[in-house]
Amino acid sequence: MKWLKSTLWPWLDERLGLEDLIAFAGKKTVPVHRHSFWYYWGGLSLFFFVVQAFTGVLLLLYFRPGPEAYESVRQITYDINFGWLVRSVHSWAANLMIAAVFIHMFSVFFMKAYRRPREFGWWSGMGLLMVAMVFGFSGYLLPMNELAFFATKVGLEIPAAVPGIGPALADLVRGGPEVNEYTVQRFFALHVVVLPALFLPLLGLHLWLVQKFGNALPPNEETQSPASRRSIPFFPDFLEKDLAMWLIALNVIALLAALFPWDLGQPADPLKPAPSDIHPEWYFMSSFQVLKLFGRVFSGKLAILGEFLGIGLFTLGLVLWMLIPLYDTASPAGRRARRTTYFGLIALALLVITTLWGYAALN
Amino acid sequence: MNYPAWDVPHIGSGGIIALIAIYHVMISHFAVGGGLYLPLAERKALRENRRDWLDQLRKHAKFFLILTGVFGAVSGVGIWFAIGLANPEATSTLIHNFVFGWAMEWVFFLVELSAAAVYYYTWGRVPDSVHLKVGWLYAVVSFGTLVIINGILAFMLTPGDPWLTVAGTGQESSRFWSAFFNPTYWPNLLIRTLVCTSLAGIWALVTCSRIDGAQHPDLKSALVRWSAKWLIPSFGLMPFAVGWYLWTVPESQRALLTLGVNTIGPGAFTQVTRMALVIVIASATLVAVVYALAWRSPRDFRFGHALAVLALALAATAAGEYTREMLRKPYVVGNHMYSNGLRAAAADTPEERSRSYLDPNLWLDRSPGVEPRAAIGEAMFRGQCLACHTRDGYRSMKRLLAGRDREAIQNLLAILHEHKPDSPYRAFMPPLVGTADEINALADYLASLDTPAPSLASGGAGTKQ
Repeated sequence: MKWLKSTLWPWLDERLGLEDLIAFAGKKTVPVHRHSFWYYWGGLSLFFFVVQAFTGVLLLLYFRPGPEAYESVRQITYDINFGWLVRSVHSWAANLMIAAVFIHMFSVFFMKAYRRPREFGWWSGMGLLMVAMVFGFSGYLLPMNELAFFATKVGLEIPAAVPGIGPALADLVRGGPEVNEYTVQRFFALHVVVLPALFLPLLGLHLWLVQKFGNALPPNEETQSPASRRSIPFFPDFLEKDLAMWLIALNVIALLAALFPWDLGQPADPLKPAPSDIHPEWYFMSSFQVLKLFGRVFSGKLAILGEFLGIGLFTLGLVLWMLIPLYDTASPAGRRARRTTYFGLIALALLVITTLWGYAALN
Repeated sequence: MNYPAWDVPHIGSGGIIALIAIYHVMISHFAVGGGLYLPLAERKALRENRRDWLDQLRKHAKFFLILTGVFGAVSGVGIWFAIGLANPEATSTLIHNFVFGWAMEWVFFLVELSAAAVYYYTWGRVPDSVHLKVGWLYAVVSFGTLVIINGILAFMLTPGDPWLTVAGTGQESSRFWSAFFNPTYWPNLLIRTLVCTSLAGIWALVTCSRIDGAQHPDLKSALVRWSAKWLIPSFGLMPFAVGWYLWTVPESQRALLTLGVNTIGPGAFTQVTRMALVIVIASATLVAVVYALAWRSPRDFRFGHALAVLALALAATAAGEYTREMLRKPYVVGNHMYSNGLRAAAADTPEERSRSYLDPNLWLDRSPGVEPRAAIGEAMFRGQCLACHTRDGYRSMKRLLAGRDREAIQNLLAILHEHKPDSPYRAFMPPLVGTADEINALADYLASLDTPAPSLASGGAGTKQ
């Protein structure tokens, strides 16, 4: 044991700069206050991503993209030992990951943790959210069952609604005018190579920034005197609590996968009509419903205007959301601070309402 | 068919038993484990002259008395009501066979509850040595209640060959002791004892978590840690106990555990595997959480934390009891009586199976406007299927039959009726008994249940049984 400390460690440190790493890591403290609970959600998002990567690699061992996609997933679900478990964990954790990322984003927003010097944390986080949603969309098609096929078909109506370039864009994504085996292959390449290549560097940047600047204090804590602020070191104290939360998350995934495993249903049949209650997954329901509404209000000749307004509204919202750190920069109780909080509340309310409305409007 | 069938919509009669019984197990196992915890803790406190411990233990004893004496007792009786309604044939068998055992159990309960009351109300009013003796009396008697009920529960899975040879002859009581100390008795007892000691620690963590760590740091620290240690026996011995248990479970039952390894198809009876996985992860997490929260930071161990630990214990316990019940399928008394009350002797040969099920037909709906055939079909369903299935809820008949037309249903019933060795349902379903007419009527009834065609929803998150 002594040899490890006296000989091995200095040898590694001289070549890898380990002491610097430890110094960098040891600096970080986590504030302890009433809202400390929200500090867990970034870590939980990371945990769910790790689960996805792990189960994704396991699925990769048996999944066959292309014409045999459905059959390979059928084998995973109904033939291969514990294949059903790996697949169910992957499906459930995908939903939990996106939910966790949304919770993380909104808690960062309302705690105003995007303020100087953390703007790039916000921007990289938004990039991660968008890549995560494309992960979800691309992965959803891969089993090529009825649900996946029709959900993708209807989900692609969203990019197809972009004025002018929409249809060409949808063709590019689909690999042709129809959703078929080429689409699966394309989505698979996206899901397994392109998106991870985008996601991982962004994630690295995001985590490095969090490590560098630490957790932000919410506005009402900032007004307290520095002397009265409590904090605990990240290593090992907060990390232990983080790990406990991850253990709970693991149990939630395990319970969901064991009690509500994902079935497969019938293979995709393009000749069938889409079921009347077809819809994308819950994290796209808001856009889906808003486009539906605009399509109803602006029909016939005005349809193009409707599409333009629908997509435009979402794009505008997204752009404003991204620019928040440049707008709300000043003191906690200022006018801009209040307006930003209201903006966030309205955005959250709209998202929730249109999502629920979308489900209610399904036949 | 000797008794009416208890038709509980959506959750089924078994679901009622489950709700009452799992609630009862969480409390009753605390009663046994806590019965050991209290005198041991009191003895330690007296030896080390820790008055603050004694004050806290008195509060814990009050909580213990109310929880076990009221809620434990009521839910225990509740189980009686539920099983008598859900499966009167099996209950009748157990009563007739174990009358002596039930009598012993009631004596133990009487002494147990009296001892608990005396233990609490004489606290500080009698010499310490006398008080401690009352605690020990409680501990011994309450362990006795576990010893008795365990025999009856284990009997249901493995009655043992000596009893099986006299079953149905009227001479069953002559084999009382071999039926009681049956093949799965001892591993079952070990498992339950370990659950008792664990729950003793966990419920103690609930009361200790409410100590103010700022005002009484040493008391809280010491008691929380001492309570957490009660999980150590389980941590060490449970894997061995479960392995021993599975080794004594009959091969045909043990095979049910593997049905869910490679598939989750509906009708494949995969829940034993899946629930067993839940037991493992909930138990492992429980130990990890108690270590990380209670052992490492006893002073900061709050009530919310304790409730989280209790929730994990509930998940592990519920999954465990559910797995144990499912492992016994298709029987309610192993190799003697099927889950729907049919005796194996009355169903295990083709001749027996083709006799009329409903004769004497006391249970048909004879109200005007009800077709006799429909009444027969429904009565068959109620008598033979409702024990495990509901129409549209738990293990839903509608969902499991989904997409089958009248002819396919008839074929399915033929497979169940013929009960051949290679039938995939044999592992977990009883044979179907009845004349050809009765079976046809049942097929008509099932076809009328308006089974939906497989929907889009079946491609997503499953609605598993």
